[in-house]
Amino acid sequence: MRLLVIEDDPLIARSLEQALTPLGNTVDVFTHHAQAREALQSGQFDLVLLDLGLPDGNGLTLLAELRQRGDTTPVLILTARDGIDDRVEGLDLGADDYLAKPFSLAELEARVRALLRRSQQRVDNRLTFGPLAFDAASGVATLDEQVLDLPRRELRLLEGLLLHAGSITPRETLENRLFGFGDVGSNALEVYISRLRKRLDGSGLRIRTFRGLGYRLEEASP
Amino acid sequence: MIEVDGTLKSRLAFWLLATVSVLGVLLLVEAYFSSQRAAERAYDSQLEAAALTIAEAIRWEGGQPVVEIPSAALQILATRHQERVFYAVLDAKGQTVSGNLDIGIPPEWRRRVSSQPTWLNDTYHGTQWRLYGRELDSAGWETQDPVQIWVGHTMSGRDALTEMLFEQAVTRFVIMVLLAGILMLLAMRVALAPIRRLRQQLRRRDADDMRPLDARVPEEMREMAETLDSLFMRQRDGREALLRFTADASHQLKTPLAGLQTTSELALQSDSPDAWRQALTEVHGSAGRTSRLASQLLSLARLRHAVEASATARIDAMALLHETTFDWAQRDVSQAHDIGLASLPASPQYIQGEAWALRELLGNLIDNALRYTPPGSVITLGAVCHAQTLELYIEDDGPGVPPETLAHLHRPFERGGRQDTEGSGLGLAIVDSIVRRHEARMQVESAQKNGLKIRLFFPYLTQHEEK
Repeated sequence: MRLLVIEDDPLIARSLEQALTPLGNTVDVFTHHAQAREALQSGQFDLVLLDLGLPDGNGLTLLAELRQRGDTTPVLILTARDGIDDRVEGLDLGADDYLAKPFSLAELEARVRALLRRSQQRVDNRLTFGPLAFDAASGVATLDEQVLDLPRRELRLLEGLLLHAGSITPRETLENRLFGFGDVGSNALEVYISRLRKRLDGSGLRIRTFRGLGYRLEEASP
Repeated sequence: MIEVDGTLKSRLAFWLLATVSVLGVLLLVEAYFSSQRAAERAYDSQLEAAALTIAEAIRWEGGQPVVEIPSAALQILATRHQERVFYAVLDAKGQTVSGNLDIGIPPEWRRRVSSQPTWLNDTYHGTQWRLYGRELDSAGWETQDPVQIWVGHTMSGRDALTEMLFEQAVTRFVIMVLLAGILMLLAMRVALAPIRRLRQQLRRRDADDMRPLDARVPEEMREMAETLDSLFMRQRDGREALLRFTADASHQLKTPLAGLQTTSELALQSDSPDAWRQALTEVHGSAGRTSRLASQLLSLARLRHAVEASATARIDAMALLHETTFDWAQRDVSQAHDIGLASLPASPQYIQGEAWALRELLGNLIDNALRYTPPGSVITLGAVCHAQTLELYIEDDGPGVPPETLAHLHRPFERGGRQDTEGSGLGLAIVDSIVRRHEARMQVESAQKNGLKIRLFFPYLTQHEEK
């Protein structure tokens, strides 16, 4: 995995490099707009971490140029500006995520991992999270390389959770996936969730409920 | 936004000029006609005098009138304008006794002249003539036959006199207008002097001089001066509030920074890796708190001192509540708590507001709940539709707040008597500011079991505003 960090503050740039390299990544750091533009035009990156306030230009223009070229490399925006307008503009221009400074490195790592996973899934059409994997082409789910024999709805539920693994899958998304857009009872989904929970018991993964919001497939904390 | 719309001077000048022009045209028309009348009177009396002179020269020889036209009469007729003159002496039958031009005198004119002397205008060979005729009364002589004397001349003398008189009138008028204009300019200067003085006074003012104005102004400007004064007063109050706030903020920032400094200093003096680790942990935690404090101070300052409210929009409060809660539930800081959403009204509920401020508001409420409750606490957000207002609420099952503190929780740097948390004491102050901006109402109360419940009541978007 090759990461491009565009950040002009040396302290932050150094911590980003140190934090991200152990994730198995090559990290290229640029402090200027112009250098970063050249790098983006020549090289292939798996993720771009973009600081908006650069000494020689606005990061948003760089993002706009990237997307205009049809480059779909995931972009995570970092900024000290906390204005919501910037955030909305960044996401409108095609940024994949947004993190306001100051941020914790743990949070950053989690976001980077999620973005990299998504970008990887696009490539090999296979959803994985920890010991769990789902091959979208064959429709086969495996846990620790063992094929999970699941009924159709549980399989769709698992796929739905895996698509958003590490973040919350909205309840409505799962309901639509399982039952179509018809009206369903409030606990119909909960029934399938609890069945899936039993299957994952002891696998090191769990499904956490967020009341009124959705569910999240996450690693069970020891 | 100041748009300059002409000057007072040009407006005054325009109206004065318009008045003077209308009056001037009337005056000049009148002057022309009176010049004409004066010229006419002057030359008509000359004609009369010439006729009399001729009359005196008439003698009677054998019952027939004989006349030797005296040169004096011709001199009277001929002005210095190279005029052509006419004279004729007619007997009772209308036969010319003496005359220089063959201007035919119609019988009708003769009849008029027989009753009284008459002035007439006539055209002869394409030229305008002024004619005067009178009948000579021959009473006391042998015959009773009357004799008519006609004199006349062309009009150039009259025209020249009219022109001269009119020119004089115009000259007088122009001089008067010029004088009036100069006086008017002076008057405007004097009248506008108070405005100029006020302007100079304002321009000389220091940027931070907020004292009331000290100026003599006419009654018409009193209201403006008073408005300026009250503006200065508001600015002074605003600045004082800002200074107080900055002082508070600086104090609040200094405290954790001092902690950072001493902790790192001690660690540098120590040789033990354990002490370094301990100090680094403290530094890390404190840095996080400090930067959060800084960003909260910034939002509070922005909310309190925003000069103009940014554009408000029609916002679906349900979508916003869902989105913000979802966002916070994902965050690292929330993982030890059970954040959830109570079931919301199914339909969108619209309020008028600023989306960023409302997100900030909900975020601060959630952040507060996370900080002031122990791990594992249940935090629930929800909404209730009342008849007049839309209620958004957040409740937790934490330790709650003593009833006597509830009322002033929203003051800056108030932590509900708690010193054990990482909170800055600014969260509810920010919430309070945003609530005010949205003309909403906040109610802080104890939750059913224990814990705290904060309820916000927003006015619905009315039909009128929706258009």
